[in-house]
Amino acid sequence: MSIEIRNMNGTAVVALTGDVDLQTSPSVRQKLLESLDKYTRLVVDLGAVSYIDSSGVASLVEAFQVSRKKKAYFALASVSPAAMRVLSLARLDKIFTIHADVNAALAGQG
Amino acid sequence: MTTHPALPQGEFRDHLGLIAEMTRIFTSSHSFEAMAKAALERITHYVGAEASSMFMLDDQAQALVCTACFGPVNITGIRVPSTSGIVGRAVQTNQGQMVRDVRQDSDFGGLVDAKSGFTTKSILAAPLTSGRDRLGVIEIINKTEGNGLFSTDDLRLLETLAGAAALAIHNLRLTEKIVEQERERHELELAAEIQRDLLPQPGTKEFPIHGINVPARAVSGDFFDILPLSDGRIWFNVGDVSGKGMNAALLMAKTSSLFRCLAKSAEHPGQLLNAINNELCETNSHGMFVTIVAGLFDPATGTTRITNAGHEPPLLFDVVRGSFMSIPAEAPPLGIAAGIAGSGGFPVSEIDLKGGTLYVFTDGLTEATTFGGGMLGLDGARALIRDHAEESPDLRLKSIAGAVKLPGKPLRDDLTLLIVEDNAVRTTPLPPPPVDLAAATGQILRLRVPARPDRLKMVRAAAEQAASYCGCSPEWTLDLVMAVDEACQNIIRHAYGGNPEAGDIMVDFVRETDALAVLLMDFADPVDPATIKSRDLDDVRPGGLGVHLIKSVTDDCRFLPPPPGVGNLFKLTKRLASKVN
Repeated sequence: MSIEIRNMNGTAVVALTGDVDLQTSPSVRQKLLESLDKYTRLVVDLGAVSYIDSSGVASLVEAFQVSRKKKAYFALASVSPAAMRVLSLARLDKIFTIHADVNAALAGQG
Repeated sequence: MTTHPALPQGEFRDHLGLIAEMTRIFTSSHSFEAMAKAALERITHYVGAEASSMFMLDDQAQALVCTACFGPVNITGIRVPSTSGIVGRAVQTNQGQMVRDVRQDSDFGGLVDAKSGFTTKSILAAPLTSGRDRLGVIEIINKTEGNGLFSTDDLRLLETLAGAAALAIHNLRLTEKIVEQERERHELELAAEIQRDLLPQPGTKEFPIHGINVPARAVSGDFFDILPLSDGRIWFNVGDVSGKGMNAALLMAKTSSLFRCLAKSAEHPGQLLNAINNELCETNSHGMFVTIVAGLFDPATGTTRITNAGHEPPLLFDVVRGSFMSIPAEAPPLGIAAGIAGSGGFPVSEIDLKGGTLYVFTDGLTEATTFGGGMLGLDGARALIRDHAEESPDLRLKSIAGAVKLPGKPLRDDLTLLIVEDNAVRTTPLPPPPVDLAAATGQILRLRVPARPDRLKMVRAAAEQAASYCGCSPEWTLDLVMAVDEACQNIIRHAYGGNPEAGDIMVDFVRETDALAVLLMDFADPVDPATIKSRDLDDVRPGGLGVHLIKSVTDDCRFLPPPPGVGNLFKLTKRLASKVN
């Protein structure tokens, strides 16, 4: 599991790779919240996520809620099938802003 | 208006000519105001007076209202009590009144003068009467010509003209009434047509749901609808709006539109009716309400989910046994109070039709008058259903509706009947493949790890291998992995309270005949399952999301009595050809 953060013209792009589970989600949560401290736009790239559990989803939900409070832009990009399965079971696929890839997410307004 | 040459004064008066002219005015105009004004002007000039007016009785005959006048002041709209003054006397006595000097008449009240600033000196008044109906009074004020005194000749002339005017008014009102009735009839026809269009088209004989609606009047307060979904399931409803006529029809149209619109996104009828109820309550202010049965039928399984909101209980008829089961209302009628159901909506019953037929109907059926004169009642309805059970759906609906519709008599109430038939030829599930049970059933893998987050990846790998061993698809495998992972997380968090040194998790993967079972054991104190709740989807707290995921992707999950030495035993079962995916 790795977390990579890039600054793309003022938007933080947080790319997650590997399994986001009970072991790794605390650091994912921390990085997402830190990014929202520094940036007003945050894109989470889930393209290389092989597995995400309820605690990982909870981290995304928390970041989503914080971004709303701060009126920051928050979007998910290139969500892997494994991650999409969990998001749709949790009915969160209709709540999150989801883009097909990072470029589309970067172009998104909100 | 035509102008008239000044008529000669004196005794030579062409009364006949005037009467003929007035009659022409009365019959040529379709507007009451235009007719009255023309007539008043003409007669005032003719008699040689200062002013004239026409007072009509209001609907309660309490007041006389000036509807037209001619003269120096406009008194149109002035109201006086129908019992006072000279005009009042003309109405009450139904006789012409001649008052040459109002100061000499104690009945003269001067009410109109007080309101208009006009000075009345003399009055000639004649009642407007059509048959027995008193309509009002026509009066002429202040004779100016000749000796300045009204004559009995003037009065007789006014009475004659009043008779013609009353007849004209009567005819005008009759015409207006007929036009209004015609307009209402046309509106009702339109409403009935709109309602007919709202009802679904009859389906083929093989289609499992059919309905019939027989309105008691042109427009109906009853409705039904059938709405097939792309996945093969079918929404249906039967409803009855309180009250009759146009308002009920409008509420019916609204409810039925809401049903169509909201059914597409609703998960079950309890949720759907809750949403409709909240919508109706937002705008319904006429104290009307709707009783309704809504259902979602799955022809593939022969089961229906159904919610009854204050409606006549539907009957499930077991064709083989000839027996009935009733489905009573568990929710109140819609449109009375919003927000009364929980977040999940109104209660839902799940009913397996088992080859039987569900009859949903309005009280127009059970309260219909029979040939014997009594009410059909529930027993009568059951007997009718039994009698016609063998007929085709279409014929059966017509037979049952026809049995309570007496020839030549309108129905007492709208009648709606809908049937849901579990008529699918269902292949029995394939028997399990003839495998060597001894080899196929049994433990695949046992794993015992410390209850720590950093061991979950190993448990997931084991779950993946176990699923792979059973030949499952990647999607099936992901779901199983997720369920096992979430169950282990619950052990770590709840059973051991997050303490990484607290103990172990033991996981058994067991192949059952048609399923993969996973037994998860811990060695902590027993957990009260009630404290681990499935997440309410309206709530975005991460709380019980894990349990929700487990329940969503497995066919069964439950705590079992643990064997000696084990703290808690949680069993997940996922069928190998699982419907859950």
